[in-house]
Amino acid sequence: MDLAVHDLKQHRGRFLATVFGVGLLFTIVLAMNGLYRGNIQEGLALIKAANPDLWIVERGRGGPFNEQSTLPEHYRYSVQAAPGVAQANAFIYYSVERQIGGQSRHFSIVGYEAPDGLGGPQRILAGRSISHAHYEMVAHPKLGVGLGEQVALGLHTYTVVGLTKEAISPDGDPIVYLSLPDAQEVLYQRDNQEIRSARDQLLRNLASQGVSGSQAERLLNPLQADTHTINAILVRLQLGANRATVARDVDKWLYLSAFSTDDEVDLMLKGRLASMSKQLLLFRTLLLVISVVILALVVYTFTMEKIRSIAVMKLIGAPNRVIIRLVMEQSLLLTVSAFAFGLVLIQNTYTFFPRTIVLLSADHLMTFAIAVAGGVLASVLGLWQALTTEPAMALGGG
Amino acid sequence: MEILQIQGLAKTFGTGHLEVRALADIDLTVSTNELVALLGPSGSGKTTLLLCLSLILEPTAGTIVFDGQPIYQQGWTGVDMRRVRREKIGFVFQSHNLIPFLTAKQNVLFPLSLIGQERAAAERRAMELLDYMEIADRADFLPAVLSGGEQQRVAIARALANNAKLILADEPTAALDTQRGMRVMALLKEIARENQSAVIVVTHDMRMIEGFDHVYHMKDGRLDPSRA
Repeated sequence: MDLAVHDLKQHRGRFLATVFGVGLLFTIVLAMNGLYRGNIQEGLALIKAANPDLWIVERGRGGPFNEQSTLPEHYRYSVQAAPGVAQANAFIYYSVERQIGGQSRHFSIVGYEAPDGLGGPQRILAGRSISHAHYEMVAHPKLGVGLGEQVALGLHTYTVVGLTKEAISPDGDPIVYLSLPDAQEVLYQRDNQEIRSARDQLLRNLASQGVSGSQAERLLNPLQADTHTINAILVRLQLGANRATVARDVDKWLYLSAFSTDDEVDLMLKGRLASMSKQLLLFRTLLLVISVVILALVVYTFTMEKIRSIAVMKLIGAPNRVIIRLVMEQSLLLTVSAFAFGLVLIQNTYTFFPRTIVLLSADHLMTFAIAVAGGVLASVLGLWQALTTEPAMALGGG
Repeated sequence: MEILQIQGLAKTFGTGHLEVRALADIDLTVSTNELVALLGPSGSGKTTLLLCLSLILEPTAGTIVFDGQPIYQQGWTGVDMRRVRREKIGFVFQSHNLIPFLTAKQNVLFPLSLIGQERAAAERRAMELLDYMEIADRADFLPAVLSGGEQQRVAIARALANNAKLILADEPTAALDTQRGMRVMALLKEIARENQSAVIVVTHDMRMIEGFDHVYHMKDGRLDPSRA
């Protein structure tokens, strides 16, 4: 006889309310699982999409995504000349906020040596890749632009020639691919007043050092900030070349740091993505603990309400396993129902979240196992109360 | 046939100057088909004796032989006591004590499920008992919607479900009006006569004991021989 089910049928309202409440908590836990996976997927998307044999960055820096790395653009020629290197291309990456379609949009720009340089979009969803040196862009649909649309960035207007979904920035922002010079121009673009003011300041500095006016005018251009900088050089190795050897040579002779794509992934996982992952783990743990505490209280209340019935059951000879089954089954029914509710809810709502939510069956199974263990734990208090109930309680005094 | 033999039963609580003697020198024999009443005021030890007979309170001294088996012998555990209770003893309580989330029929089925009776046979037996108690038409109702008398009849049906050799009834009429109380007592008498069971009823209501085979008065933890 299934006592737990009979009892829950009598407390249908409270059972459903508990399933709803705890189910919402499980929804958040599952969403955080998905957010954790999404955070990693987004954080690594660009690295995996580019997937060169080596990422060359400023020496001692873990760039270009985990840490800032700045290199003169011409370094790529030195890298290209290194033994074992088949192809070396400049790569630039930065985040901007601009008005697009009348709305302020935050997105990241990738500049690569179009059309065939490493680091460009690999899988075009619609349209084509960048084929001209200037004024073309490939964008993520999340940016809200359509194929053929004209987008003003700084002083120029760019045509959306392709759409790609393969990459998203580590911050979850859409990516815009531009040719390298366009990306540098957008990055270093300044308004005229700012340019004039910088020139005047430079001339005053030179004058204060005793440089004459005509000499200062001649020195102005060479002394102004160089805009031909990049963040990394992406390398494709020659067939049969040893990655470690090339990386060692780059480090030793060019005073740069070289990482494989796996190293880049590792840098991100241990660096920029780690704190977010820890944060999410902490939240998930807290929410699971809260769920278990709520379940424990509900199961305890259910048990306390039945304590006289439990005494009667014991008096008429019910073995402990009948009592244990009653309490434990209720706890597990609540846990499993709440989890199922949470799972159905997240499966039907995860696309509405602003950040990428990646739902994996393995995560669901793991969370379910923890939830069930929590459900068993939640029944401990009720079980203890039930098992220590004296059958004499069923009899009146006299 | 003697179903219960009690000799020199005593129960004390506490020690030293805090010692309370709840039962002393109880000798009692109950046979099959006998209807026995235990009377006495509050605190006289009726419930303590009932607890000892229910195998949930171990006496300090004396012996209880139930159905030829010495109880509380060395090596007996709570599991053994529960087995005897579910197989051989039926309980009727003061406040019915039906399991509130089970229907009348399910309440009767419950002890049958504990002794592992096959489902269809158990269902038949439960309906027979409810029919015997003239409450079969209320079989699918929850206790909350049954009257006090109906609940007590379901409780008696439950007590009979396992073909108990001994039925212990603790103030079974306390929560009923006189008419319904008389009806319940009549049922208990009928059970004692027809079911090869012995019935021990603890009560303080003198009006309810007419027709009992033995009536024992309890006072200060002892059976009063002058009034047996």
